[in-house]
Amino acid sequence: MTRKKVKLAYITNDSARKATYKKRKKGLMKKVSELSTLCGIDACAIIYSPYDSQPEVWPSPLGVQRVLAQFRNMPEMDQSKKMVNQESFLRQRITKANEQLKKQRKENREKEMTQVMFQGLIGKSLNSLNMMDLNDLGWLIDQNLKEIHKRVETLNKEANNSQVVAAAATYGAGPSVEVKISPEQAERQAFEVNIDAMQRQQWLMDWINPQEPMGFGGDEVNNLPFGDANHNALWSSAFFP
Amino acid sequence: MARKSKGRQKVAMVKMPNESNLQVTFSKRRSGLFKKASELCTLCGVEVAIIVFSPGKKVFSFGHPGVETVVERFITRSPPQISPTMQLIEAHRNASVRELNLQLTQVCNQLEMEKKKAEEINQTRKANKSQCWWESPIEELNMPQLQQLKLSLEQLKKIVATQADKLLIQNSQAHLHSQFYASTSSGAVLPFESKNGVFNPEIVPSHGHNLGYGRGFY
Repeated sequence: MTRKKVKLAYITNDSARKATYKKRKKGLMKKVSELSTLCGIDACAIIYSPYDSQPEVWPSPLGVQRVLAQFRNMPEMDQSKKMVNQESFLRQRITKANEQLKKQRKENREKEMTQVMFQGLIGKSLNSLNMMDLNDLGWLIDQNLKEIHKRVETLNKEANNSQVVAAAATYGAGPSVEVKISPEQAERQAFEVNIDAMQRQQWLMDWINPQEPMGFGGDEVNNLPFGDANHNALWSSAFFP
Repeated sequence: MARKSKGRQKVAMVKMPNESNLQVTFSKRRSGLFKKASELCTLCGVEVAIIVFSPGKKVFSFGHPGVETVVERFITRSPPQISPTMQLIEAHRNASVRELNLQLTQVCNQLEMEKKKAEEINQTRKANKSQCWWESPIEELNMPQLQQLKLSLEQLKKIVATQADKLLIQNSQAHLHSQFYASTSSGAVLPFESKNGVFNPEIVPSHGHNLGYGRGFY
């Protein structure tokens, strides 16, 4: 087990290089062997080093010859299709790593924007955001609103269903009576039950109807020069180009 | 979120019974094997060839300097041919490999940094959850909370729109201002001078602010 990260470059110290070679060569052979056993496939490895006139091989010189024969019997194209050397292999790895990096950055951007959104909800100023940030923020708000809408619908459906079931039970085994409750009624019922929780969050209500100016100047909100609809064009899919 | 996978498990050193697991294992381990081989070549400057047949009878191979070269050397049992031309090609190739290794290291470091960042943000959000109910996932909110959040978000949306308008106006003014300055000769009294208060260079936003995120990527 390594204690510190090894730099991906030629080891200039001779003894360190030799020691590393011994360890890693052993590990590599072990990995080939495991791959072969676990997946029931044929494989071979050949290593030429300055420390040995003879190559190190797996599984055995004869075994290698067998696999090589199998390999060379294949059409040229099949041999080379999945063949790589250091350069091509590293390029592949760089491409893959770049893709992962891009994906992670996108995720992080969304996470950060979510934090900005939360802070915006409690009144933090948006003055330091640039156009791109505002665009992404708007998009994120829309996404959240969509999710909330979906969730509300789901809860209403459940409320309706449980009402229907309860009603059916009350009326017994007669002709099935459909008790229809409008979504608004269900909402209101759920709403009223939890009015205490609401009162506890009174301060958030204050935010919606600001009594004092907030960092961004709360009264500006009521004097929008353009209607809300005009700004939908601003929200392109920032996160999913 | 519940754990999706069981994490690293010890595996019996026999042929894997499950066909699809076998496929996945092959894919992952083959990739890891080539990575180890590549590292060995870089670190110790050795020549390597690895040939692997897939469960589907396709063949994968890794070689440094090349599969063919190493295989030839093995079959003919002859010492490596070292011509001056080959040495030049070799040196060239090694230089480019060095470059690529540096690039790869760079990208991996950046990736690691982003992952750490994500972890930090997750921690912060988790810590705040108890005090700020609206930071919880939407699935965990009750109806009045959802209503509340909806209203707050709609309000925030309006504010964002207002702010965006503000920026658009400032940006277009700035544009006009710089164009105007560029085409005017010196000495004349300019209608858009700073003291008029119409255009204040300090309001023009430069870039993303100190909340710690970048300029956006899309």
